[in-house]
Amino acid sequence: MSEEYQPPDGYRGPLLDRLVQEKIRTWSVIRVKKTDGSHYEGVLLPRSVHTSDDYISMKVDTGYNIGIQLPEDAAIEEIGYNPGAYEIPEKVVPINPDLPNVTLLGTGGTVASRLDYRTGAVLPAFTPSELFSAVPELIDICNLTPKTLYKILSENFCPEYWIKTAEAVAKEIEGGADGVIIGHGTDTMGYSGSALSYFFQNLPVPVVIVGSQRSSDRPSSDGPINMMNATTLAAYGDLAEVVVVMHGTTSDNYDLIHRATRVRKMHSARRDTFRTISDIPLGQIRDREINFFKKDVRPRSPREDFHLDTKMDERVTMLYFYPGMEADVMHAVIDKGYHGIVMIGTGLGHVGKPMYEALDRAQEEEIPVVIVVQPMFGFSHLRVYETGRDMLARGVIEGKNLLPEAALPKLMWALGHTKDVKEVEKIMQTSISGDITNREPYSGFSIFQGGVPDFYDNYRNVDRINK
Amino acid sequence: MIDPDNIDYQKMGFKAGLEIHHQLKSKRKLFCHCPADLDADLQKHPQFTFHRRFRAVMGEMGDFDPGMLVEVEKGYLVIYHGNDDHVCTYEMDETPPFWLDMESVDSGYHLAALFNCTSPSEEVVINRKQYLDGSITTGFQRTMIIARDGHIELRSGKKVKITNILIEEDSARKIKTEDNGRTVYYNLDRLGVPLTEIITDHLDVDDPETLVETARMIGLNLRTTILAKRGIGVARQDVNISITGGDRAELKGVQDLGLLPKYCAHEVCRQQALIDIQIQLASSQLEKEKFQHTYIDISHLFDDLGEGEKAYCIRLPGFEEYLNTEIQPGKDFGFEIFEKCNLITGIHYYNMFHSGEASENSVLNRRGTKDLLITQGKDNEIREVLSLEPGDGYIAAMGPEKPVLHTMKISIERCKQAFDGVPQETRRVLHSGNNEFLRVIHGKGRLYPDTDTPPEPYPMEKFEVVKKKIAPRPMELFRKYEAVGLSFTNLELLIRDEKVPIFQKLVDEIKAPVSLAVQLTIEIPRWLRRKGKDPEGISHFTTISIAGNIMSNKIPRKHLRPMMKELCMASKENHDKIIAKWICHNNEKDKENKPSDQWPTNGGCCR
Repeated sequence: MSEEYQPPDGYRGPLLDRLVQEKIRTWSVIRVKKTDGSHYEGVLLPRSVHTSDDYISMKVDTGYNIGIQLPEDAAIEEIGYNPGAYEIPEKVVPINPDLPNVTLLGTGGTVASRLDYRTGAVLPAFTPSELFSAVPELIDICNLTPKTLYKILSENFCPEYWIKTAEAVAKEIEGGADGVIIGHGTDTMGYSGSALSYFFQNLPVPVVIVGSQRSSDRPSSDGPINMMNATTLAAYGDLAEVVVVMHGTTSDNYDLIHRATRVRKMHSARRDTFRTISDIPLGQIRDREINFFKKDVRPRSPREDFHLDTKMDERVTMLYFYPGMEADVMHAVIDKGYHGIVMIGTGLGHVGKPMYEALDRAQEEEIPVVIVVQPMFGFSHLRVYETGRDMLARGVIEGKNLLPEAALPKLMWALGHTKDVKEVEKIMQTSISGDITNREPYSGFSIFQGGVPDFYDNYRNVDRINK
Repeated sequence: MIDPDNIDYQKMGFKAGLEIHHQLKSKRKLFCHCPADLDADLQKHPQFTFHRRFRAVMGEMGDFDPGMLVEVEKGYLVIYHGNDDHVCTYEMDETPPFWLDMESVDSGYHLAALFNCTSPSEEVVINRKQYLDGSITTGFQRTMIIARDGHIELRSGKKVKITNILIEEDSARKIKTEDNGRTVYYNLDRLGVPLTEIITDHLDVDDPETLVETARMIGLNLRTTILAKRGIGVARQDVNISITGGDRAELKGVQDLGLLPKYCAHEVCRQQALIDIQIQLASSQLEKEKFQHTYIDISHLFDDLGEGEKAYCIRLPGFEEYLNTEIQPGKDFGFEIFEKCNLITGIHYYNMFHSGEASENSVLNRRGTKDLLITQGKDNEIREVLSLEPGDGYIAAMGPEKPVLHTMKISIERCKQAFDGVPQETRRVLHSGNNEFLRVIHGKGRLYPDTDTPPEPYPMEKFEVVKKKIAPRPMELFRKYEAVGLSFTNLELLIRDEKVPIFQKLVDEIKAPVSLAVQLTIEIPRWLRRKGKDPEGISHFTTISIAGNIMSNKIPRKHLRPMMKELCMASKENHDKIIAKWICHNNEKDKENKPSDQWPTNGGCCR
């Protein structure tokens, strides 16, 4: 008891006062006796925030956690002290000169993670030894150097982080890395990947974004396999693009390689959530074997030509049109001083007539309005219906089949280079890093539609003709 | 080895406890909205399949549970079968848990009251318990302690301590295994069905008979509630056993309580034999540090090895007699090692052998299916290659190189463990009554709080209300009705058939003799069911009316069966008329026959 007394973590209010009064600490082994004869022994755990103030969290002898109340007439005493020490297994990883060198930049993805008692949530644990303890197979694939950029959840990413990430990647490439992996929360991978795709000019090596849909504190995590596949691609793939590598099916079978500008998270939780939209994936990685499906994969190129172009105007916003949307929403955006708007229109990209006056104003004030489509698959075609033509007459820019996640950073990037609406339109409508596909293959549109009797035939692209 | 048929359990310091798993009735699964019933056909052709592999993860203390690492060594490929009727993306581990089914939690507190628990969880914390055998897609079971410190009363009056009552999700059903156990198939229908686990203190029962009675009594207590599911496969029990000087072994897969005493006897034999080996080793010159991980390639001695196959062996100085020691009927210590190797590496025990097996007095147990790989001549060749001294032993294995080397490693480690006596293991019972290694007993390191579900406060006022509503427990009923002639066997039948309430009405309210009440509630309904009739259409009201007429001699008792048979074939609204008819019928006959007022002393039961 030489160290100074510290109140237990996470407790609040009268319960905290009582614990302090009894000199109970986090990790105290406590015995609680209540007047009704109930009796509890166990280790006092830190209390998670956002839970009730009235309960003690304790770990009992079986390893289970339970919660109990501490009424005033209950007796509590410390009968021991059993501090939890989170010790990371040490693993010395030798450098193998025959293997490629790959850097893993952690931004908060959970390839390896641990439990945070305070919030009850999972935190990334990201030292090399932790990573190699969790996925020892990585040692045989390449010399992998993990570095932590930030520890943030992907919804807290912002354009500033895109730039910092790009700079960190560029530093690794200039330092001779044969490939770079970015561990990233899955929610906003598409945005970050697209932004990086615009920043990197003449990218010489693969930049692979990877994550997990089941955090690595679970034995069923998809993280380790994604990590192994990402590492394989970064080390050996003849590819120099920004790509996302994630599970291709719900099974631990293979990963798909998606071009970052064309990928979308299509399910809030499934492992195979990432799908290439309006196109087929670049390829597949199965058991450390890379197989490209597409012929236009950009190969590795000389490092000398590589440079960064991160000029951005962050004052760009995105509006999702809905039936009955009024012009005032867009006026408000313009009033707030936004320099560009991505508008997600219905069907082929339409907005309702009440919006026209706001489109007129945007045109007048030279604020580019880029139209992308709510159906996600397919192109914006504003020449087909009168509405579309009315919109074109008001100066909107057809975003072709840009995904919203790509259109937003692309418009920021375009506005970082020019404020001339005509120039912006030219940039937006030019395919950069494959963000616009001029041709849409038949099989670029395929999603599960179970329950349909000939679903499996559809899935196998067998056309069953009714006779 | 001691004689399994003649064990003095008291002297051996036998201690045992139970973990009883029982499915609960509920409308939905514990963490999703799938129905909580099962596919009628386990082998049903699946609408979809998928596969996964599992890894150990660091516990909240930052380390790996040793039991979990052994699980990972097994390297299972797990294939799941699913049908839309019973499986959603939750069972696939593709969506986070939905709100906890509070009805099942309520059932848990009901059971806590039934089993006299004094220390309830006031806030339910959902924990994750790791399982890497594929039986749960997440790799962990969501489980929660509802209450602790209870007991169950046996007929002798002994109160067996119940340490914990849990509510948890059931695991998936295994369909089959392939590839010598490396590939495992599961049907996902059962995954997530609410389950209670009732754990008794594993040091509180001192002999197998009491253990069986404890299991039966827990089952009977569950039957007094309407909470537990009924039918085949709804209950499973694991048994924890130790003896003085031994350690806890958890026996899994006990289906038939009648076999439990045999399982106990064989486990006691094993533990005592391992203790004897430990004692002999301690007084020998052998040291465990001297057992080297040196694997010797003896492939050249075998000309029938397959493509890419190798044969390896290890030298075990001075260890021959221990490998030969019989530890369970028909099984030597060497074979115990093979069972463990087989389970972890997939090298079949046909393809392993040790130095004692070729000798004439070996304890052979090849489960009668295949000849021994080794001959006396081959044994001599191996001894020569290894330059074994008398008393030295060896273990050899053949097959694909990697798993064979793994087998060698496990064998050495297991031999070293012999210096420490009985290891803590979870073991699987076999038809012979013996048991084999399944996994290292899981430590606390495999438990950690679920990060997907916040803790759920449970109002203690609700628990107090439930306590007052508990139906009388079996022993309470027995104490009450034993004096008036109810046998325990009949009490069991009353509980099993859910007839306690009507029995109590008959005996307590209209003062029917126990024998009549038993006849009306058990014997005749069971007889009717055997005749293919459904007696459940006869209401309590009708049953009471019949009892009254019998007791006032308006209907002779011998007419009960034909009358009740007629009743259950008629619609309810005609029941009164039928009873009236039988009374009338009797009045006519009454003139001829005097009614009998002699009740048989004991109703007995119709089996």
